[in-house]
Amino acid sequence: MSETTIAAPGRTGADPEPAAPRQLSMQQALNLALADILATDPAAVVLGEDVGTLGGVFRVTDGLQGRFGAARVFDTPLAESGILGMSVGLAMAGFHPLPEVQFDGFAYPAVNQIVCQIGRMNYRSRGTLPMPITLRVPSFGGIRAPEHHGESLEALFAHVPGLKVVSPSTPEEAYHLLRYAAARPDPVIFMEPKSRYWQKGEVSTGRRGADGDLGSRVARPGKHVTLIAWGAMVARCLQVAELAAEDGIEVEVLDLRWLKPLDAEGLAASVRRTRRAVVVHEAPLTSGLGAEVAALVTERCFDTLRAPVERVTGFDVPYPSGDLEDEYIPNIDRILFGIQRVLEYRRG
Amino acid sequence: MNARHQGTRPEHLVEGSRQELAFQVHEPDAAALERPVLLLHGFASSSRLNWSDAGWLSALADAGRRVVTVDLPGHGSSPAPDELDEYSPSRIRAELLQLLADVGVRPYRAEDPASGVDLIGYSLGARLAWEFGGAQPQLVHRMVLGGPASHDPLADFDLAAAQQFLADGTPIADRSTQELLRMAQLVPGNNMFALMSMVQAIKAEPFTPTEAVPKMPLLLVAGEQDELASTMPELARLSGRADVVWIPGRTHADVVTSRAFKKAAIAFLAS
Amino acid sequence: MAELSFPLPDLGEGLIEATVLEWLVEPGEQVERNQPLVEVETTKSAVELPSPQAGKVLRTYGVPGAKVSVGEPLIVFEVADDAAGIVGTVPRDEAPKRRVRLTAVPDED
Repeated sequence: MSETTIAAPGRTGADPEPAAPRQLSMQQALNLALADILATDPAAVVLGEDVGTLGGVFRVTDGLQGRFGAARVFDTPLAESGILGMSVGLAMAGFHPLPEVQFDGFAYPAVNQIVCQIGRMNYRSRGTLPMPITLRVPSFGGIRAPEHHGESLEALFAHVPGLKVVSPSTPEEAYHLLRYAAARPDPVIFMEPKSRYWQKGEVSTGRRGADGDLGSRVARPGKHVTLIAWGAMVARCLQVAELAAEDGIEVEVLDLRWLKPLDAEGLAASVRRTRRAVVVHEAPLTSGLGAEVAALVTERCFDTLRAPVERVTGFDVPYPSGDLEDEYIPNIDRILFGIQRVLEYRRG
Repeated sequence: MNARHQGTRPEHLVEGSRQELAFQVHEPDAAALERPVLLLHGFASSSRLNWSDAGWLSALADAGRRVVTVDLPGHGSSPAPDELDEYSPSRIRAELLQLLADVGVRPYRAEDPASGVDLIGYSLGARLAWEFGGAQPQLVHRMVLGGPASHDPLADFDLAAAQQFLADGTPIADRSTQELLRMAQLVPGNNMFALMSMVQAIKAEPFTPTEAVPKMPLLLVAGEQDELASTMPELARLSGRADVVWIPGRTHADVVTSRAFKKAAIAFLAS
Repeated sequence: MAELSFPLPDLGEGLIEATVLEWLVEPGEQVERNQPLVEVETTKSAVELPSPQAGKVLRTYGVPGAKVSVGEPLIVFEVADDAAGIVGTVPRDEAPKRRVRLTAVPDED
């Protein structure tokens, strides 16, 4: 019997010299991160629908196939279960797959592979088959797209043992968190806020180290209330903080970044300072990640909290069509109302 | 009326059995002011291959025309009945007449631009159009015949050799039979039994263009390299009211996408 | 400005190449989405390919008679850097609007 093995190359590439910080959109920052990952990690491969010749529907993989070849950046059939199933096999053969599911709503056909294979393989094999897979999912709403193109799956995946979940909020975060995620031996669901793809920001390249990449991030300090958000909602919460300042309320905005594992210490530290917390997400309210955040904050800050943790979220309905999106996604006024409620709350 | 039921096809008997040809009505963006255009595809093709994929539907929609497409029996989405009669050109023409009545075509009156119907037929569809226009002058305003011939090449089709080839691979001697069968086999989903039935039915009713010469203006179009349409000038002579256009460089297979063909057809039907 | 290249799409049924019959657009031309771009012929049939994208044509590949393989470049468009993806629109950058005002409530301690 002959045995065929696919040998994945070892991780040998040296990181390119960090370049001077530059203005990039989030899609450009992600493109750069993928290029740097492919350049430094010979075992890294990018796969998904239209990621190769087309360069991705949001240009995130633009030019990568031309630069790294069709063996490392390749198009797959329109079958998410196949994309993730193939990623499992590639990971077992020693590769570091970076699969893309083109849109959030199309991750559902691959839930079996993600939950039952990717999430458990390391456990099932007693640590002999780690799954160094970074699954990129353009996520959340805000671009007036049809059904299946505006969903928030963080609670679904955060609930699955064995998976890590992260969502960047700025081009800088996108670059560094993707590089960090791709270097992990564990599977990471990387949720890209698609409504922020075109927003530019300063991006420094190279690596900033685990200290910079782990946990939550105070996006704006304040002392009266903590707004907790991730992905595209971070930018909206920063706008709210700016408006609240006009009314004399200093809002702290905590960008959670990692949705699994949640940064319990970072959450607690912020809320101990402000004593009030409002968590904001696009996903529906019931069993959303806001519930987990509220529980953690309550467990750790019960004595200091001045009000129950408020949740400002999407509604318990299927994600609506583009024309109704502004009614669904938490808007500035709804977040301000949430803040007002925790400010007004009095015990007894 | 319940909108759900608007698409229900009317039930009609044509020559004793149910009219079942698959047809579609394609409305342009703005309400069409002119009479509809009926498109008739060629042998071993379909409305999709001959008209949709080749860009005719979008070109006619851009020209503001309402279009009716129909798949011939054993072709495209139409059923492939067992009875040989269902494939005969005369039976198909009867079906087309019922279809035009069902989609609301009214007799042609010179003063009413919405009355009557225009026809565009390609290859076998051109033969059917010639006969239909000849027999129904009260309905048809103008016709465009693509890749037409005064003699139906399918009538010379060596059916026995083709069936032998399909059964055990015995090579076909006749080049035209060989080529027609090759084209028929290239289209996945083509029902070879139905196509052979159609050939058989056509052999029983070969094309005799002198039998009913259409009196309305005609536009005859073929590729310069279309060997099957080499007798097109004979049709022009019979008609006496035909414009003839030869498309440079094109063959029987690839003239269907030609922009020059579409432009000439749309301009001719509009005049 | 960025370049957006489209390959010859999979024409189905195992076809691996097509012959260019005629280009219906030329470099420099502004085209609409779904506007016919080119006529190509396969061993099966001749088809007209609609544009997957609105934009200015930068380059076309394949003169009439030339064969193009599925997946090889067919046409390159020039698109703005902030062009939308194939689905959806680019969110507009608007100044935040509010109707709600906060009233500060002094803490008890």
